[in-house]
Order: sequence, then structure tokens, then C-alpha cells
Amino acid sequence: MSVAVAESVIPVPRPALGRVGTATLLLLPIALVNAVGFLLPVLNLLRMSFNEALSGGGIRETFTLANWVGLAGDSFYLELILNSVVVSLTITALTLVLSYPIALYLHRSSGRWRTFLTVLVISPLLTSAVVRTYGWIALLADQGPITSAIAALGFAPPRLMFNTTGVVIGLVEILMPYMILSLLAGFGRLDPRVEEAAMTLGARPVKTFWRVVLPLTLPGIALGCLLCFVLAVSSFITPKLLGGGRVFLLATEIYDQAIVTLNWPLASTLSILVLVIFGAALAVYARILRAID
Amino acid sequence: MTKMRTLLGVSAIAFAVSSPACAETVTLAAYSGIFQDHYMKAVVEPFMKAHPDIKVEFYGMPNSAQMLGTLRAQKAAPQIDVVIMDVSVSKAGTDEGLFDKVDESVSPNVADLYPAAKAQGVNGVAVTFDNLVLLYNKDQVKTAPTSWNALWDKQYAGKVAIPAVPDIQGTTLTIIANKMAGGDDYKKSVDAGIAKLAELAPNVQTWDPKPDVYAPIANGQAALGIGWNARAQVYADTSGGKLGVVLPQEGSGFQINTINLVKNAPNSKAAKTFIDYALKPETQAAFTEEMFYAPTNTKAKISQAALARTAAGSMDKMIDIDWVAVAGVRDKITEQWRRRVIPLSR
Repeated sequence: MSVAVAESVIPVPRPALGRVGTATLLLLPIALVNAVGFLLPVLNLLRMSFNEALSGGGIRETFTLANWVGLAGDSFYLELILNSVVVSLTITALTLVLSYPIALYLHRSSGRWRTFLTVLVISPLLTSAVVRTYGWIALLADQGPITSAIAALGFAPPRLMFNTTGVVIGLVEILMPYMILSLLAGFGRLDPRVEEAAMTLGARPVKTFWRVVLPLTLPGIALGCLLCFVLAVSSFITPKLLGGGRVFLLATEIYDQAIVTLNWPLASTLSILVLVIFGAALAVYARILRAID
Repeated sequence: MTKMRTLLGVSAIAFAVSSPACAETVTLAAYSGIFQDHYMKAVVEPFMKAHPDIKVEFYGMPNSAQMLGTLRAQKAAPQIDVVIMDVSVSKAGTDEGLFDKVDESVSPNVADLYPAAKAQGVNGVAVTFDNLVLLYNKDQVKTAPTSWNALWDKQYAGKVAIPAVPDIQGTTLTIIANKMAGGDDYKKSVDAGIAKLAELAPNVQTWDPKPDVYAPIANGQAALGIGWNARAQVYADTSGGKLGVVLPQEGSGFQINTINLVKNAPNSKAAKTFIDYALKPETQAAFTEEMFYAPTNTKAKISQAALARTAAGSMDKMIDIDWVAVAGVRDKITEQWRRRVIPLSR
């Protein structure tokens, strides 16, 4: 809307043909890289999902819907897909709840303190997820510090890893920096004067938060959730290390089918399915953004 | 992506190899890690000493699947001459026309191999025999167990590490459990074994020990587990007396690595010389002494000390596993584990 108004008022010079050429030229390298490095392999993957898997890992070039039909009719895979989505949504929600206060505090701090805190928030990204996951293994182990502390308080220590709990704990911590950065990026519209105005008009802090702060930070929340959901669905090393072979997710199943069982056609089918889930997540994100505007 | 990366890796190696003015170079693809260290020392380096005109490049890969992926990607222009991989993957490669047949025309030593070394429908022949063993932590399990039943002992609830199917360690355990539970031909049904494994499930701490099954048992995170003999023997020596290895009284099953000649390989002639060398009784004995894989050549002379640490001395107790047939029922076994075994351990 606002763009259309601006165009009718201020005459915008039509881009000359030369400038269009320059733009295309500048876009060409990345388009080429994407075509060769992403589009082509994905098309290859799509083609592979229609091949036939022979027992023992062989592949027969053909055109069959068997993998897709088999997937739709197998309750294990339907559960697998549902489980992946549910676990990823849980992780996203927990990450949001834990990251939001930190992001809000960071947004309101200033000067050197803010720089220091930002570096602190980003610093986990300097260590690879594998190393951090091994850290969690040490912490969550059966005789580890956390279970020992729970036992010392007189409770029966729960099993904290080699199950879904472990995967959720590990991934939430790993994804928090991404969530905090996305939230900060989306907090631009949050002006302290608006909050002051609400308070001046008699709103209590809780009401100010629900009616003013939260709606204004929705774009950041949507962006952070999209990013975390996509990263959670596709993350593979943390579920592999903390899941103990009990947590069946799409990403770990793709690994098993591709690397252990050698069923490339099925692995490709599942990979395409993950892309479809990403597409759905993007569509939801776009809808939310439109609704906010 | 990985395919692309291995492709680049292989091309990089090919470049590095092509530069020196060496007569002939054999590129050997096999397992990286401790297999590579010991195979280089016991087989590859002595071979190059004996054949100064042939250079062997060891291209290490973490698993057979990745080797097959690399060979598929290079089918039009292979850069690997010889590959050592698991027999069931070797069958898949044979079916896809990636390998030439290794027979007595390639190496006269093929005639002296055990019958189990020549699997039907596989173009490669066995170069190492390994077998499943019971692993235990010597601090937590004071007396050495003698039976697989130790895994079922309630005393070790939550302390057992089992690499589950589709890993073939899990497949081998299924076949052993099936025999223990009185089941008949595993090729027809492993129901008895699955029911027995369902009783094991509540004891299991992890179905996917990382980075491998040996580390968590050596460091005490788990008390008992299953693994492959050769690696277990090496790690037992390096674990400072923590890791114990037992070949249980009920016997075990073999894992077979085959040596394969890549079709249209760039240096086929030198590759055949290497395969012949790898199958020689002396070479087979040297690698057994080095890393405790049982030899595949009947004429290999092994010292008593090394023999006691392989399954070669207890051949009569071993279950003859037909891996090519197992490949056909593997999906069914995996499905049963997922529905009837693993869910019982949550």
C-alpha cells in the first residue's frame, strides 16, 4: 500500500535497460551456484525417489511410485513424520520461552554492557554442535552432576538422555543463540516510549506486555520460530548422539537409510518429504507475517 | 552432498598420486581409523617393500556404504582399483556391475580360502573374518562373563550398550538370540530371537552407542555390550585393562570383509598383484597377529597367542551366517526391532 502511494506522488525514474543488465549480471553467479549446488542435487534426489531399491542396497533405475506409496501406507513412517514435527515444535516453543526474556533484556540494555552480553549470547556458536552435545552427554549421564543433584535431594533421578528428553534439552540449548538473534532483529518496532505511554495511561506491567510489547515483537517471534523449527527438523547429530537409538526422527532415519541400509531411493523420498515440511513452515510464516501487517 | 565431497576427495588424491613419476599406483579404498593404521603396517607397507615398482595409496572411508557411494559416482571413470568392504555391500556392488570377479586367474590363493570366503553372487572374496563378541567393563563386572545371557542379567539394568539394527552388529545378535531361544532357520523366521531380545530391551541404556560401542564400555558409562572382536581386542590393549572381551560359550557369527577388484580400474594389473598378496597365507597371518581378524586362507600359520584372541580356534561353535540371504530379510528384521524390541526400553 505505502509503496503504491509513494510511487504515485514521486515520479520514480524507470530503470534503464543497462541497469537491468547489471542487476542480472550481478545475480548470475549466485544463481549459477544455487542451480549447480542446490537445484540440481534436489532434482537428482527427486529422481532417485522414483527408483527401485533392491535388497542389500542395490538400486534399479526405473520409474515407480512404490517408495511413496509404501511410505503413505506404513504406520511407522507416519508416526516418524508426526514425531519429527511434534518434537521440533516442542523444541521451538521451549527455545522461544527461554530466549524471549534474554532477548528483551538485551534489547533494553545499552553501551558496553550490551556488547558484552551480545558476545556472551553468540559465543556458543563458536563451538561446534558436536562438542556441545558431548558436553551435554557428560552433564546428563546416569551418574552425571545433574542426576546426582536430583538424587541428593531425595528424588528418584529420571533418565535425562538417550531418550526424547535428552534430544529436547540438547537442541534447545544449541538453538537458543539463533532464536535470540532473530528476536533481536525483529524487535526494531519496540519503542520504549510506547511502553511508557501505555503505563502512563494506566496499564499494569502485565497488561502492557500482553497488549503492547508482545504484538510489537511478533515479527521477531515468527522469524525465530521459523528458523528454529527448520533447524530442529533437519538437525541430525544431536538426536543421533542424545537419542540413544530410541528417538526416531526424519533426519536420523534418512541417515540410517542412506548410510547403513543403503536404501537410497527411500532416503531420497524422506528427504523430499522434509523439503515439503519446510515449504509448509514457510507458508505458515508468510501467512503470519501478512496477518501481523 | 557427501557424494560430491568424496568425489572431490578422491580427485584430490588422484592428483596427488599422479604427480610423482612412479611406475604404477594402486588406490585401495578401505576403512579409515584403526583398520587403516594396522592394515598399512601389516600389509600395505610390506607389500610395497616386496614390490618397489608398485605404490599403494590407502584411501580411508568410515564405512562400506560410503565406499559404494564413491564407486557409484565414479562408475564411468573409476579412480579406485581395489576396495575392502562388508560382504553384503559387496553383493550390492556386484549386482550393479561395479566389480570384476576375483577367482583363481586373479590369484591362485583363492583356491586355499575357506568355503565361507566365497559367497554366492559376490565377485569379491573374503579377506578378513571378524566375529561378534561380548564386551564388559572390568571395574563393574568383576568376574568375566562366559555367556551372552550376562546381557539379560537384571543386575546390569540400564548399563547395556547395543548397536541396534540396521547396524549388522544388531543383526548378528538377532541371529545368535534366535539360536539361543531355540528358533530354527533364521532365514525363515527370527520370531524366537525377537521375543528374547524384547526381554533384553529394559536393560539397554543406548541402542546407538557413540562414537562406537567400545568407548562407553571402556570408560564405564556402560557395563556390558556387544562389538566386533578385532577392534575390541585392539581397544582392550589400549584401554589400560578396563575393556574385557569374551567369545561366549554359545558361539557367535562372522562378519566378512571382502576384497574387490573394481571394473575398468586404471591399474588393474597392479591391483591383481596386490589382491594376490593380500590373500597369501603369510599376509593373512601377519594381519591376524597385528589386529586379530581371523584369516580367510586355510594355510595361514597363526601363533597360539593370537589364535586364542580370534574365533579361528573355535570354528565349530560359529553360526554360519549367509549374509547375502540376510540382506533379503534385513528390512523385516529391522521392522520387528522397531515395533517389538526398542519400544520396550523407553
